Amino acid sequence: MKKKLLALLLSSAMVMSLAACGGGGAASSGTPAASKPANSGAPAAPEANALQVTLVVADTFGDRSFYDSSKEGVDKLAADKGVSVKTIECNGENHTTQMRNAADGSKAGDVVVCVGWEFYDVETVAPDYPDVKWIWIDNATSAPVPNVLNITYAQNEGSFLAGYIAAALSKTYVVGAVGGEDAATINDFIVGFQQGAEYYASETGALISVVKNYANSYTDPAVGKECAIALNDQGADVIFQIASATGDGVFEAAKEKGFYAIGVDSDQKYIDPEVIVCSMKKEVGSSIYDAVSALLDGDSSRWGTTWVADMSTGYVGIGYGEEGSTQQVPDEVKSAVEELAGKIASGEIKVETTR
Amino acid sequence: MDDILSSILSPGTFNQMLRSATPVALAALGGAMTEHAGIMNIGMDGMILMGAFFGVWGSYMFQSAGMGILMVLAMGVLVGLFFALFTVQFRSDEFIIGTALNTFALGLTSFLSRSIFGTAGTKGNPALPTIHIPLLDRVPFLGAVFNDNSLFIYLTWLLVLAAWVFVYRTPYGFWLRAAGEKPETLRTAGIQPEKMKWLASILCGILCGLAGAHLSLGQLQGTFAENMANSRGYIAFACVIFSAANPSKAYLAALMFGFFDAIGLRLQDYISSDLTNIIPYAITVIMMVYVVVRGQQRRRQGHRVKAT
Repeated sequence: MKKKLLALLLSSAMVMSLAACGGGGAASSGTPAASKPANSGAPAAPEANALQVTLVVADTFGDRSFYDSSKEGVDKLAADKGVSVKTIECNGENHTTQMRNAADGSKAGDVVVCVGWEFYDVETVAPDYPDVKWIWIDNATSAPVPNVLNITYAQNEGSFLAGYIAAALSKTYVVGAVGGEDAATINDFIVGFQQGAEYYASETGALISVVKNYANSYTDPAVGKECAIALNDQGADVIFQIASATGDGVFEAAKEKGFYAIGVDSDQKYIDPEVIVCSMKKEVGSSIYDAVSALLDGDSSRWGTTWVADMSTGYVGIGYGEEGSTQQVPDEVKSAVEELAGKIASGEIKVETTR
Repeated sequence: MDDILSSILSPGTFNQMLRSATPVALAALGGAMTEHAGIMNIGMDGMILMGAFFGVWGSYMFQSAGMGILMVLAMGVLVGLFFALFTVQFRSDEFIIGTALNTFALGLTSFLSRSIFGTAGTKGNPALPTIHIPLLDRVPFLGAVFNDNSLFIYLTWLLVLAAWVFVYRTPYGFWLRAAGEKPETLRTAGIQPEKMKWLASILCGILCGLAGAHLSLGQLQGTFAENMANSRGYIAFACVIFSAANPSKAYLAALMFGFFDAIGLRLQDYISSDLTNIIPYAITVIMMVYVVVRGQQRRRQGHRVKAT
């Protein structure tokens, strides 16, 4: 009996901790997943004393979008510029410790790239390592730190275009969005998406409704599929996924139920060209590549500032997949999108934001 | 209000309830076995994750979902043996071994997935068939809920029945329960309780493996993502405790979780997703309170019976 009570206590303690985790989103998982620092296979043999770039991602690679895009960027740096590359995956925890690990393994002048809003402690950690150049992706320090370059992306602007395309392809005039969690960055996509859809509707005089839900996980494709099916039940026939690996389930639901999907962060068309009509690209990799390339050329003026990669920089936009892949978006919609992109870049259209 | 009700009580909700409940229910059947044998098994989440991975791997290697299932069965036996080796043979702390198994499963599947499929993971491997029941689609509502589901949704019903018969109507089931409740008595009767624990552990490995295989090959079309079990094993554990390891009640508990998952998703239009997200966990806590209170009541009644 004693054992049974113990079992009850432990299990309720466990579910309580799970509930707490659920609320905090990607805070931590129930079991202490070992974070595994790993040497990435840098293709070019780095010269001795070459600049070292350490990439620290908040979760794990394999999302075929956000984190993988950053990895492509540093891999390209290794190939083109001969920098040496190290990667650390935090698996959703110990972000501060891993930042320090990355910095401890760096020599003066090396670069540490932190990918994910979770690295907010960079504000206090970076001053401890004044010789290391930090890049923080997807968020900005509350006040400028001299050796930190913040890169944020105007995902709302890219999502505006995605919303426009979704509305143009919708036959039911209901479009949907599946978010990873109810958080500021994710909602920034959604408000842009909604505004874009409504912009198309105002052009044609139709009424459009935008439905959404949140999967509350970035690693659970089964839940992503359920989210998409639930939106499809509400009539949505074009669904935008903003949920990392969870979004794979959105693509599957699209295939099974016969609706269209829109990819996120990377150009995800290749995953399923028949149902993925386009992707809202956030070129994390290219922006890291360009920032570090500039540093190699001796230009470190960006450090200490926040670099907003908006529509005019070309780091956010729409991708339609590789040439030759099936295209569902008509050419006239594509040219309208291009025109809109110009208007957003010039400031003629102002896209709402949650940040 | 009508809007809310009609979206909650749509066939889609109940269809999702079935889909979401099935992996949890299969794992809970496995958990019922170890629970009866007196092993506290919190390693089910890891077992599910391994099942999900090995199912996809088998399906990918042999281009056949059936081979994926065979591979999961083999893996389930191995994991069960592994679990029993530590908990029964070496008498290690079950809680620690379960936690270790979960961590190990996360590391192993992530490592293998990357070695085999690269960081991009895998999807679109041969999946399990869906079952179409003729005539059922003519029935309004029920047709939309019960027809055209993945194979394991139906197999789970058979497995629930089989597990129930096994536990309560066969001598093995009797010994299994005795191994947990009165191991010394069982030993006196000439049967080693350890043997029953080994058996329970293997059955649990297999059933949890199938839960994972259903997740990756049934609910999804041959897709594996790292950490995709996403705490379903813990929910299954809650079902086991709540149902006092009765397979049919455990299935009902899993259905209840599935139902709340489904309405949670549909309620997001009306209340914050942070709130709908805690529904399953809130239910678990309520269940636990119920179990404890009921246990106390029974004990009190028991005393009264003795007194008279």
